[in-house]
Amino acid sequence: MRFRLNPLTVQKIRRFRSIRRGYWSFWIFCLLILFSLAAELLVNDRAILVHYEGRFYWPTYGDPLPGRTFGLDYDYETDYRHLRRHLAAGRGAGWVLMPPVPYGPYSTDLRTDAFPPFAPSWSERHYLGTDTVGRDVLARLVYGFRIAIFFSLGLLAANYAIGVSIGCAMGYFGGRFDLFFQRVIEIWANMPFLYVVIIVSSIVVPSFALLIAIMAFFGWIGITWTMRTVTYKERTRDYVLAAQVLGASHGRIILRHILPNTVAVIVTYAPFSVASGIVALTSLDYLGFGLPPPTPSWGELLQQGWAYMSAWWIVAAVVGAMVVTLVTVTFIGEAVREAFDPKRYTVYE
Amino acid sequence: MTSALLQVSDLKMHFPLRGGVLFRPVATVRAVDGVNLTVEAGQTLGLVGESGCGKTTVGRCVVRLYRPTAGRVRVDGQDLAVVRGGRLKQIRRDLQMIFQDPFESLNARHTVGEILREPFRIHRIGGPGQQAAAVERLLERVGLDPGAQNRFPHEFSGGQRQRIGIARAVALNPRLIVCDEPVSALDVSIQSQILNLLLDLQREMGLAYLFITHDLAVVKHVSDRIAVMYLGKIVETADADRLYQAPLHPYTVALISAIPVPDPARRKGRPLLGGDVPSPIDPPAGCRFHPRCPLAVDRCRREEPVLQAMDGAEPDHRVACHRAGQMRLPPDG
Repeated sequence: MRFRLNPLTVQKIRRFRSIRRGYWSFWIFCLLILFSLAAELLVNDRAILVHYEGRFYWPTYGDPLPGRTFGLDYDYETDYRHLRRHLAAGRGAGWVLMPPVPYGPYSTDLRTDAFPPFAPSWSERHYLGTDTVGRDVLARLVYGFRIAIFFSLGLLAANYAIGVSIGCAMGYFGGRFDLFFQRVIEIWANMPFLYVVIIVSSIVVPSFALLIAIMAFFGWIGITWTMRTVTYKERTRDYVLAAQVLGASHGRIILRHILPNTVAVIVTYAPFSVASGIVALTSLDYLGFGLPPPTPSWGELLQQGWAYMSAWWIVAAVVGAMVVTLVTVTFIGEAVREAFDPKRYTVYE
Repeated sequence: MTSALLQVSDLKMHFPLRGGVLFRPVATVRAVDGVNLTVEAGQTLGLVGESGCGKTTVGRCVVRLYRPTAGRVRVDGQDLAVVRGGRLKQIRRDLQMIFQDPFESLNARHTVGEILREPFRIHRIGGPGQQAAAVERLLERVGLDPGAQNRFPHEFSGGQRQRIGIARAVALNPRLIVCDEPVSALDVSIQSQILNLLLDLQREMGLAYLFITHDLAVVKHVSDRIAVMYLGKIVETADADRLYQAPLHPYTVALISAIPVPDPARRKGRPLLGGDVPSPIDPPAGCRFHPRCPLAVDRCRREEPVLQAMDGAEPDHRVACHRAGQMRLPPDG
């Protein structure tokens, strides 16, 4: 049979598009993610393209090219900013095309005549200045955003995987299973999240995956409650009973009937969940219990900015970036919630 | 035991009300409290009663959506309570249900084609081609355009949706269909179309119906036999014509005389009931109808009447009342 989108879904999408603020935020957010995925080409201390002695080099991805490749006198990775000045000065045949921001998240810009942090400078191409060890703030922000956003999405996926399955099972099977998990959740919810994170990070240095695991350990509760309630409501509706009378299995009823009808809740929950994931990672990093340094992170930048208030560009950059990101995500969430509002489609007889 | 298609004996369905910290049962809703029913193959039994009297619960026990607290539901002599797994799935093919609210009983996310193909998919009947052909036949049979397949339920009117619900129920060639108020959510003009469709299908497929409704005008039209239910119990059961001509239970008399008659001159002298159905959590002692019964005497308050044939009446006409036959329908021809 030919595939056809449910007209109700089409209506919801149309409604979402009609909420301009949320719709634009959605595209801006998608663009931000796309840009961050292409960050190596835009913000990097490796050149995009080098032309040296008649040959082209694309150093962005792949193994580092040693300095000798371009006739420099060292075996470690080429310093392309230096190479650019070197070739521009006529000491070799070729040219270098650097990314718009020629600094990576880990490269320090050290100088002999001054100490970092350096203020924003157009000519140095430090558009947002450097942090206290001379790393470019914009580069840290961009790579930090990428980590934060994928952290949030990963956390969302983990929370949903646990929460939707347990919540759905609680609502569907009810009885003792439901009762048992209700009590488990009540106890679980009272565990002090921050202390556990602090304890765990004092024992092992949390990696990206481990940190998601720790946070999902506490984060599954919210969506579980919601899914339980929604499933509870759906499972007594006539269409579910009809499927039961036909002899449908539990799996079929849950997957084909109940889950598709709870999708509005799942979708509505997601943007706010992403926003809270970003905030959570940033605050953990700020406290020093998040991803280990020197991972680029907004929380760590915020902490530096707090310690060096005179270097106002650090704080301003992080706060600005946070505000833009969170406002964008919240606008999306708001529009999604509005578009999926069931009241709009309920027919009261 | 006779070879009745459906035999419900002493069915009880009690729902515990839970409360407190430990979630223990604090009270019991006696939704169905000892019901006996028989439906013969190809026949229609009308189950009539006010809202909240437990008739829907009986229907749901019959299709095993609920597991009864006590009593037996036998289909072809097979006790539904003890079957499970593949055998239960097999029995379910014979046992279908039509729901009251056609806006609720169809999954809004599936196309009509998907909804009607689901029975075949669940029971693994036929390949995709055969299923598609079967769906088209079904749609045609219930009077819908085959093009309806690709549309979604909300694009149809209430009557059309109910036709889809009926098509789904007859898809597997069942022998018994529980119709739970199948027309009460519909406009009166549509009701008769749906009822006629049900009657046609019954003739063609030899279906038996357990027809649950509160509407006595409707049930008269479709039923062979009628059972009147009050607060979880059957108070009177008889052949349809018999029940309408000579009801014995005061409750039945009140119900029948409450059927609207389009003649203002005949309105007078109806024995109308006051009050509400008492709570099934704490049903009245003795005859459950006594607080509302105009004929109630002391005996009714103390002693619960048994459903039995009355002396001098037909053996098939059973009634549970100490004062059966003492109230008459107002004469109106």
